[in-house]
Amino acid sequence: MRIVESARLAVESIWANRLRSFLTLLGVIIGIAAIVATAAVIHGLNRYVSEKLSNLGKGVFVVQRFGIVTNRQDFLDAARRNRRLLPADARAIAERVPSAEVVGWEVHATTDLKHGDHEILDTDIGGVTPQVLEIEPYELAEGRVLMQHEEDRAAPVVFLGHDVADRLFPNSDPIGKEVRIGGTGLRVVGVAAKKGSFLGFSQDNYAKIPFSLHRKLFGSTRSINISVKAADAARMWETMDEVRAVMRARHHRRPAEPDDFGLLTSEGINDLWRNLTQTIFSVALFVVGISLVVGGIVIMNIMLVSVVERTREIGVRKAVGANQGDIVQQFLVESVLLSCVGGAIGVAIAYGASQLLATHTPLPAEFPPWAPPTAFGICTAIGIFFGIHPARRAARLDPIEALRSE
Amino acid sequence: MNTRTDGEVIRTRGLTRSFAMGSTTVHALRGIDLVIQRGEYVAIMGPSGSGKSTLMNLIGCLDTPTAGEYWLEGQATAQLGERELARIRNREIGFVFQTFNLLPRASALRNVELPLIYAQVSPAERRARAIEALRQVDLADRMDHRPNELSGGQRQRVSIARALVTNPALLLADEPTGNLDSKTSQEIMALFDVLHRAGHTILVVTHERDIADHAGRIVTIRDGMVASDEPHARTAAP
Repeated sequence: MRIVESARLAVESIWANRLRSFLTLLGVIIGIAAIVATAAVIHGLNRYVSEKLSNLGKGVFVVQRFGIVTNRQDFLDAARRNRRLLPADARAIAERVPSAEVVGWEVHATTDLKHGDHEILDTDIGGVTPQVLEIEPYELAEGRVLMQHEEDRAAPVVFLGHDVADRLFPNSDPIGKEVRIGGTGLRVVGVAAKKGSFLGFSQDNYAKIPFSLHRKLFGSTRSINISVKAADAARMWETMDEVRAVMRARHHRRPAEPDDFGLLTSEGINDLWRNLTQTIFSVALFVVGISLVVGGIVIMNIMLVSVVERTREIGVRKAVGANQGDIVQQFLVESVLLSCVGGAIGVAIAYGASQLLATHTPLPAEFPPWAPPTAFGICTAIGIFFGIHPARRAARLDPIEALRSE
Repeated sequence: MNTRTDGEVIRTRGLTRSFAMGSTTVHALRGIDLVIQRGEYVAIMGPSGSGKSTLMNLIGCLDTPTAGEYWLEGQATAQLGERELARIRNREIGFVFQTFNLLPRASALRNVELPLIYAQVSPAERRARAIEALRQVDLADRMDHRPNELSGGQRQRVSIARALVTNPALLLADEPTGNLDSKTSQEIMALFDVLHRAGHTILVVTHERDIADHAGRIVTIRDGMVASDEPHARTAAP
């Protein structure tokens, strides 16, 4: 029998029992919806991380006191071993690594910012050299970024993140106004464009001041992050090796000893993130897998009921010439179609849910384009796996008995 | 139309069928020898429990004999597998059942098309042949009706159309009027007469004498054996 005929019969049969079919499919619907929605959230997070958080730019990497540390022991080791990075390290890299086209550095501190009666507690204050702003350009809402001459004379100027500007200057233009850090007044020269928030954390809650000023205000003991832009992005790895050699020489590391500093790349951050989300995803997959197995068993059960209900029909079909293969095909197509209908509803629900999540929650959910074909594949597998037993039971019915049944 | 003109449609030799019922064995058929020629109209009679239904199931290739042999259209069937038997049921046999056995959710046309689906006939040809078969039983105007929208007689005519549509070697009717009133029964039997005149080979299983009277030969089965096998002067339809 042609598969089209089987499909037509399956549609008729599913439609004739639509409420029962729908209830049967709840397990599959929920399972597929949950897994696709999870995938949408993770897909959205991955996309966000790679585009916004780990986007260091082409050929850019960062030298930090600590690299990516994923457990406590590594952190304790690194804290004991790794020395602070200082501007002298950055200058050495700039001098001795010719393929490092731009070298800039940044240091962080947390303190309160004030303007008149407005005050923001615990704001991230970054001290940056102008090279950092060259390597990692900021989009401007107004004004300008920091200049080399301001760095040279530790000028009291500041460049604000969007939220900071909004909160300190709710009703006025911040450019040229004064912001206070402790007893020092700084003139606002620019405001960055809004970056938005990630998982509910604002990405616009910062202020940037010249590195030299930062040292004056917060002392010169804090470890710096060194941003390096390779002259040739395609050969960034070679530049990284050269930087590593310079740093190891400066720290007198012996060949067998591990690095006592960290090198951070976009790939490194993305890999870390992917590892994390993949773990989440596999746990989710396992939980949802159980729901799909239950869904499959329900489908099997309802197909067995269907075989019993349609015993006479099966007898008629056999009497007029259906062989076992025809009957198996008919019931298998029905269970696969049933399961796929559930999958389609699940995907549709997940699509709606990911849209809702994206607009109403901080989760950057994004519907993954591979979800529908994957769901289709999974549902086909469920339909076949759980449909084969009822289908074979139908096919093996004795036609005489079947025709006699009520 | 049946274009085949002569030769044997059915030959059985020592056809035997036993069923294991718990520890005992029931011998439903104890060696049936039967030959039916093309174009014959045969009635098989016998009381219930005589084995006539078992014989019909064997002749219809719904069942296989315990012993003995059965040739349909010259082909030995006792050793055939499931697929071949399904194929024979599809191509060589047209069943007409007492309870019609139509698919309740399908229209008359779809019901008649059913055997052609399993014969891998293309949709267009299927439709044309099914309409032609419905025309033969005078139901072309009801082809979009479902069985529950048709009278008993009409349902049986749909089932006869379904039996005819593959142009089988044998029409096999099991108590075809058992669920019909006497007037409708006469109409159905008249239809069988017409089909017989058109050249179809017909085997009717019945326990009603006036149904068997339409046949040109009456075979009586008793206790799993042929008790009598006689030509019979047909009562022609009006």
